[in-house]
Formats: sequence, structure tokens, C-alpha cells
Amino acid sequence: MDNKRRHWIAPTVLSLLLIVALIWGYNQNIQKKQLQTSLENHYQRLFYDIKKHTENVQVSLSKALLATTKERNVMNFTQIVSEANSAQDKLNQLPIQHADNNKISKFLTQASDYANYLIDRHLAGEDITDEQREALRGLQMNSATFNGELANLHQSLMESNFMVGMGQGIDEANENVLSTSLVSLDKQIGKSPELIYDGPFSDQILNKKPVGLSGSQVDINQAQQAAVDFFGRNRVAGIEAFEQGENADDLRIPSYTFNLYPSNQQKDFAVYMGVAKQGGTVLWMENPRPAVNKTLTVEQGQEKALEYLRNKGFGSMEPNYSLQYDGIVLYNFVYKQDDVTIYPDLVKVKVALDNGEIVGFDASPYYLNHQERNFGRPEIDVDTARERVKTDFDIDSVRLSLIPKGVNEILCYEFKGKYGDADFIVYINAKNGAEEQILQLIQNENGTLTF
Amino acid sequence: MRKFTTITIVLTLLFLSFIQFYEPKKNSETATFNMFMAIPLYWGSQGNEVRTVQDKLLRWGYYDGYVDGIFGARTYRAVRRFQERNGLNVDGVVGTSTAQALGMASAASGSSTQGINRAGDEYLLARAIHGEARGEPYVGKVAVGAVVLNRVKAPQFPNTIAGVIYQPLAFTAVADGQINLTPNKDSLNAARDALNGWDPTYGCLYYWNPATATSKWIWSRKVTLKIGKHWFGI
Repeated sequence: MDNKRRHWIAPTVLSLLLIVALIWGYNQNIQKKQLQTSLENHYQRLFYDIKKHTENVQVSLSKALLATTKERNVMNFTQIVSEANSAQDKLNQLPIQHADNNKISKFLTQASDYANYLIDRHLAGEDITDEQREALRGLQMNSATFNGELANLHQSLMESNFMVGMGQGIDEANENVLSTSLVSLDKQIGKSPELIYDGPFSDQILNKKPVGLSGSQVDINQAQQAAVDFFGRNRVAGIEAFEQGENADDLRIPSYTFNLYPSNQQKDFAVYMGVAKQGGTVLWMENPRPAVNKTLTVEQGQEKALEYLRNKGFGSMEPNYSLQYDGIVLYNFVYKQDDVTIYPDLVKVKVALDNGEIVGFDASPYYLNHQERNFGRPEIDVDTARERVKTDFDIDSVRLSLIPKGVNEILCYEFKGKYGDADFIVYINAKNGAEEQILQLIQNENGTLTF
Repeated sequence: MRKFTTITIVLTLLFLSFIQFYEPKKNSETATFNMFMAIPLYWGSQGNEVRTVQDKLLRWGYYDGYVDGIFGARTYRAVRRFQERNGLNVDGVVGTSTAQALGMASAASGSSTQGINRAGDEYLLARAIHGEARGEPYVGKVAVGAVVLNRVKAPQFPNTIAGVIYQPLAFTAVADGQINLTPNKDSLNAARDALNGWDPTYGCLYYWNPATATSKWIWSRKVTLKIGKHWFGI
């Protein structure tokens, strides 16, 4: 009797297990489908949005070519800025390889950036030049091609009930419809000429070469020598160079990078150093050691940093703002020429407040921008400039400064003060009185940030 | 007796199947970064404010546990130590005055600058660095952060930090969820150094590990320098 009963138990247990597993699997499957659908819906939405946005870009470009007044055109360009931005933003959310869409993405960013630049020119009272009109025509051609391609894609999406994202797994779906049409488009757009203008995403700014470096090219041994000398010959226990690739000289500032082992530090805290090939100039140094016990104040640290800069040959530097983290303070120093603060010539120095050692130095912005400048004298006086600032802006200080604007630098009166409960800096062009820039200062526990 | 065994087995199975189907409520709060403080925080509180408190206390040497966003015994003791040392009411609760002493905004609450800071970017970047490069030397971590920031400034990439990090098919650590690991202090420091402008890659936009890189396209990039296990390129 007993044996018979046992025969009965095993199959029951197994079939129960099977049922449990089936229910579980069914639920999992439903969940997976739900997730898939919601993701696919999201991708579909992005696709249709991109199509609409680029259509609007194309139409606005056509309108801009026809419009005769600056007022009308500013509206058209504003439209282009926002529509191209949205298209770019959404394009980059689709599951497409960067290799397949980076030129379209670049085209959209620069279209938006270029429109922004033209708004700026219009507001400054200038008309569109023939070259700019030509550039707009080129942009219009590109967006027309893009739209044509998107329309084809749309067609095949409808016909094959193709899924943008999750149909056959992200990568496979990609290789089929989306990518093939985007790749050909990407190639075509890649052929169009560079846009010449002045904006943060323009090729001129992105490919800017350093102007502050001098001297002849050095080899790796000379650079190593320079690094050791910079850190202090008797403080270095060892040094080794980072491996370089074949295109190392295509970097913005071609450099050698080193690991330095200080004699008084453990081996896992190496000091890193970058030395420009031109002239063997030390661009930056970082010592990521921690600093725990503070013995110096922020002001004493600043003195140490200034002294360091003087020793390294940076004479006329003015402390700007500072940020404090743990026991380390990061100071920003800017160059001063003829009593004018030159913001592009920036040097950062980190000081450890435990013993005052310099644990960080970065002069790459300085070497990128620094040169003998002839910015002239202001053409309007400070009182005229002050009238351009909002009357109830509570001004604490005024000084002259040179601020970057695209590839150019402009001489400005800098008004620092309070408006409402917040701190601001207002820059008024010292040549024509234009309100060039407003920065808001945000104080936090570490120091001041500008926005 | 046998019947009893069978019934027990069946019941156990049923019970197990319930366990199988029961999913614990996920704490979705941790996914969003709340800019505004929800004080007071006390033993049992959870979320990003707690994380911030733990992070600060860790940096200042009061706390020695994990920065996990859960206000537990260690956090409690750390808060008490902090309050003791700073002349606050020692109650182990992060109220307005303790939050102010910790430098957590509320002093300026209601002002036009409330909630504007870099903490969100910093933390997200730290997570990306931790997911992508936690086994790398420090300079390699900063380099990965710098590549993300260089991409933000490049027209062929999204124009925000989150856009770059979450771009589909861009980072493996994002795709496989490693980005959601809690970043350690090294990664946080590296994110800060990168945001403060240190770029050991001199403007590179790409990096790849030659041992694991699967994209053929990446090898058509200009190869510039090697930091740790990664090659960097433009």
C-alpha cells in the first residue's frame, strides 16, 4: 500500500512545479511584452517627432531665405534654433550607432547654432551677407535631403510594420532599415562645406589651436626633463611616460603625459603631468593625494598658490574665485594686463591645506589663449556704461575686463552686485555699450559657482 | 501520515509559488535626484538627502559606512558626532539647523537661487565613471569623465551630460546597469576634477578597451594616447 502512495506523490509534485513554472513564465512574458511595447512606443514617438521637427527646420529655412526684414527673420531663426535642437536631442535618443548618425547630429546642432549666430548679428543691426545666404541655402538643401530620407523610412515603417527599436532586438533592427538609410544620408551631409561662423559649436572654435605656446618641438626625453624640473628634481623617485597613439599630434595641444612618483609618497598616489611638445611647457599637474588635517586657512592657501605661480613665471595673476573640497582648495587665477582682467587666460591651482603643498596646476586654458593683446581703451566712460545697467541693480564693484565671445574677445565694464536676493555680474561692452553677458553667482558650501 | 506529508508538500509549494510571485516594492525614489530638501531626516529615512548627508559626513570623517541612502545606526551615530562637534543639539536628527551646518541649501530656501547647483551633474558623472572605469587608475577615471564632458561640447553628440551618458549604444556600463552602482569616493572625486576642467585626454571624444571593443568603427578613430587599459581618440 505504502509503495503505491509514493508513486502518486512524485508526479503530483512535478506537475505542480510545472504549473507554477508555467504561470511564472507566462507572467514574465506578459511583463516583457508590456515593457517592449512601451519602449517601442517611445521610439515611434521620437521618430515622428524628429520628422516633424526637421520639416519645420526646412520650412523655416525657406522662409528665412525669402524674408526681407530682420524682425521677421529673427522669428524664423528662433524657430530653427528650437526645432533643430529638439530634432538633435531626439535623434540621439534613438537606438542608432553613433557611427551612423553623428554627421546628421552635427548638422542639426550647427544649424541651430548658426541660426543663433544670425539672430545675434540681426540684433546687432547687421543684414545677412551673400555668403550667409549661401550657407543657409546649403543648410536648406541638407535638411531637404534629410526629410526625403525620413519620408522613405516612414514609408517602409508603415509597409513592413517595422519596429524602430525592439522588433528583433536593438542591434539587428538597427542594421536593417534605420541604419542603411541613415548611413547614406550621413555620408551625403558629411560632404557639405564647413559653416564659417562664430558660435560654441562652430568648427573654428572646436579646432582652435593654442596661441600661448612658444619654442621649438621637444622630444620625449627633454619633456621628461621639463616635468622633473617642474616638480623639483630632488622630489622625484621615478617617472614613466604614457603610451602614445599614431595620431597623438592631432590633439588640440600635442603633449606628452607622465606618471611621476614622488619620493615622499606611496606608489599608488602617482602625480600626473602633461607637457606640451611645443617648447616642453608643463600644461598641467595633478597630485590626487588626500588632505585631511587642515592647518592653513583658505587665505593662507591662496598666498601659497600665488607664490607658486610667481616661481613658475606667471607674474601678473589675480585671484578670482575658489572652491573648497575636503582639505583641498581650488583657486582660479586670471591674467591681468594694463589693469584689465583677462578672463580667457585662466590658471587653476590646487592647494592642500594640510601642509600647503601644491597638488594641482592647470594652465591649459592660459596657453590656449594667452598672447600679447591690443584691446584699445574703452570708448564710453564708466558712467555711461552704468546707465545701461538696470537702475535697481545694487552695484558693489566695477572694473574693466576682457571676456571671450566666440572666437573674439571683447572689452567690457564688469559690474558686480546684487539684484533681489541673488548675486550677479553684468558685462557692458566698453566700446558700444551693448549688454554682453550676465552671470549669476551661486554660493554653496564649497565656494562660488557661476551660471 | 503519508497524506499529511503530501499536503505539507503541496502547501509548501503553494507558499513557495507565492513567494515567487511576490515582488518587493521597489524604492523608485532613488532613481530621481531631488533638488529640494525633505527635512527632517532621522533613523529609517531613505533617499538622496540621506545619501547627501552620508556623503558629507564620510568626506569629513564622521561616517565610516556605505553611502547607500539609508539612515541607519551608523548614520545616526555619525550625525550625533557631527552635532556634538559643531555645538548643535545632539539628537541624531538632521533638522533645519543641522542641515544648515552641513551646508545643505536650506539657508537660502525660498530664494531665486534655490535648487540651482551642480550636484546632480556631479553625481551622475561619478556614477558613469564608476560603471565604466572603476578598475582604472585615478587619471583613467578622470579621463572617462573628461570624454563625457568633451562630448557635451561637441556638435555630433547630445548637448547635456545626461544626454551623453544615456545615449543608446554609447556606454556598455549604462546598457548593463552598472551605472546604477553606488560610486565610491574616488569616482566622486574624479567627477569633480573633470567638472573643474582637468582633461588628461586633451579633448578626446572616444575611448575603448582594445581587449573588449566590439565596434569596428571605433578603430577608424584617430588614436592618440593610452591611459590605463583604455585607448583614447578623436
